[in-house]
Amino acid sequence: MDFVRDYGFILILFILPVIFVLQPLFLPNLGKQENPMDDKALKRKKLLIYRQIKELEMEFDMGNINEADYHATRKELKQEVSKVISQLTPKN
Amino acid sequence: MTPIAGGVALNMAFGFSILTVLTLIIYTRNGDQRLYLTGHRLALGISFFVFLATFILSYQLIISNFDLDYVARYSSLETPTMYKISALWAGQSGSLLFWLFILSVYTTITTIQNQNKHNRLMPWVIITLASVQMFFLVLTNFVTNPFMPTEADFVVANGNGLNPLLQNVTMAIHPPTLYLGYVGFSVPFGFAISALMNRDTSPLWIQSIRRWTLVAWLFLSVGIILGGWWAYQELGWGGYWAWDPVENASFMPWLTATAFVHSIIIQEKKDMLRVWNMVLIILTFTLCIFGTFLTRSGVMSSVHSFTASSLGPIFLTFVFFILVVSFGVMYTRMNDLRSPRKMESFSSRESGFLFNNMVFVVMCFAVFWGTLFPVFSEAVRGTKITVGPPFFNQINVPIGFILLALTGIGPLLAWRKTGKKNLIRNFTFPILSGLIAAIIFILIGLEANVVISFSLCVFVTATVLTEFARGIRARTNKFDESIITALTRMVSKNRSRYGGYVVHLGIVLMFIGFTGHAFDKEKEFSLKVGENDHVAGYEFELIRLFESERPNYYAWVSDLRVTDDNGNFVTNLHPEKRVYFHRNPDPNRRQPHSELDIHSTLNKDIYSVFSAVDNENGVAFIKIMVNPLVRWVWIGGYILVFGTVIALWPRKDS
Repeated sequence: MDFVRDYGFILILFILPVIFVLQPLFLPNLGKQENPMDDKALKRKKLLIYRQIKELEMEFDMGNINEADYHATRKELKQEVSKVISQLTPKN
Repeated sequence: MTPIAGGVALNMAFGFSILTVLTLIIYTRNGDQRLYLTGHRLALGISFFVFLATFILSYQLIISNFDLDYVARYSSLETPTMYKISALWAGQSGSLLFWLFILSVYTTITTIQNQNKHNRLMPWVIITLASVQMFFLVLTNFVTNPFMPTEADFVVANGNGLNPLLQNVTMAIHPPTLYLGYVGFSVPFGFAISALMNRDTSPLWIQSIRRWTLVAWLFLSVGIILGGWWAYQELGWGGYWAWDPVENASFMPWLTATAFVHSIIIQEKKDMLRVWNMVLIILTFTLCIFGTFLTRSGVMSSVHSFTASSLGPIFLTFVFFILVVSFGVMYTRMNDLRSPRKMESFSSRESGFLFNNMVFVVMCFAVFWGTLFPVFSEAVRGTKITVGPPFFNQINVPIGFILLALTGIGPLLAWRKTGKKNLIRNFTFPILSGLIAAIIFILIGLEANVVISFSLCVFVTATVLTEFARGIRARTNKFDESIITALTRMVSKNRSRYGGYVVHLGIVLMFIGFTGHAFDKEKEFSLKVGENDHVAGYEFELIRLFESERPNYYAWVSDLRVTDDNGNFVTNLHPEKRVYFHRNPDPNRRQPHSELDIHSTLNKDIYSVFSAVDNENGVAFIKIMVNPLVRWVWIGGYILVFGTVIALWPRKDS
């Protein structure tokens, strides 16, 4: 029983992790990684610009920025988000 | 769980770390997905073996297996189980394994969390993290292995026991918290290096690490505060911060990390300060390693040097390696780091943040210079000249005031530029509040630094309250909400902003506590039972003096009755004089220790230390300190944690 216990212990703790790690090398060739990150990054960017627009509106409502700056910045952010959306649209 | 398995696990982890780095470097060149999967699993494998080694060492400590040198040196049969577990980070090799353990926890979370995300960034993130793990695995495998058998010349009867100063609940929590902070910056650092390697220095990497950075910053802040709390509760000198090299070692990365936490907001929102952010995260991570170097190397004498050793040159080499490689890669990517936008105005939030960051870095440099001055002076003039708290206070108190003022100024500035009309409108109430407070404090007769500090606290509080009030008013006007609904929704929709303001309030409360130090009073005296003495308007009478034996120490306990000037009862204090390892036949191994007792209120702390006992004559030597406002430091700490948790809380975007 000690033999089984000792070797079972070695198998589980030391050999199984090695098999787990090496297993992908025996898979058929998975090819090269495309770059699916761009879409996620663009979506994230879109979200952040929307947040900035909301924050800008809040700053304006609080009276922290004047009307001219508010409109100029808002226009700029809207143009930026339109550009991001146009990059996203063809893929979705 | 044999100790041999622990050693083998560390060997395996080291082998896996080399393979991880090699596999993923090859992957970045040929893009073979199988290699990425293998590298990914190898990274998890490193963590598995590190977890296994840590578990085995903890188990050996709990069962008191004194065949292991580490267990024999840092625990004893009498050591309570909680402190047997905390002995894991009490000694050098154990604490390095613990560093590695936390790094492995972070690496595992990062690897699993981003399994299908950031495919371009992740390989270099894992390579960076595995390289840091490799460094610590070199140390724990070949330099200071925690699984070494007990040396023949180290006599072990029932274990050497844990340093009494470390047998404190705070000390059981403080190092893990500090390590969670130190090590946590490895992840943002990994993303920064990856962004540089991929030439993708847009705000994408910043968005990936914002939450990681806040988590690491929170742990580092809590670790520092707990360290101060431990020093205050345990060391018996009545203070919580002494500008000790090891304290400074944790404060320096905190300063650059705080600058980074502010600076990433600018890059995330405006895509500015790209170079600055890279510099800050590289400095923060390097300072975290440098902090470990200061603690471990023995190059500086410190009250915290529980584990001083000769690891200094190895750590210093690693620090130089990080700096050379990181700044080298950064230099080659300078074109990619050029920000597409420029600062538009001096009176903008962007420039306020930048100025704030510069002040943080200047303060960090001042602390660095003061901390290492003994080393520099010895190298240049052959004499070790130590600069003490007066130097640090002289330099850092004014810088601290500037930072406190900026805490109030920053939120009042608008993005891009703040018009004159808005400047006047935004600053009138906070500045008036600060000025009125200053006049009142001057009339009371407070000293200059106290007046400045308290007035700035009023100014910043007014700023934060103004921001909350304006936000609530805007929402109630726009959406016709009640004040409570407006407040809840406003905070919920702008968590990082209002969480940040709450953190600022926490800092204000901490400054109030720091300023209280100016009013500290202390006195030392001796008492026999029935005698009394007076300190700062309080009478201290020794009611009784008795002895008590507990499992891991022997104690002389005093019972002090405290009354105020009018004879009203205030409290009973029971400071103790203890002797740890009192059963050890070798008197040199017995360790005396003063366990203090504190009566703490919002107004002041009455701090009592039982310095010594004269058994023959029944005399207790007592030291009393009356420390005003100290509790506000800890309350400020709680508020800081609360604010950071608000900022960290994930939000759902509709």
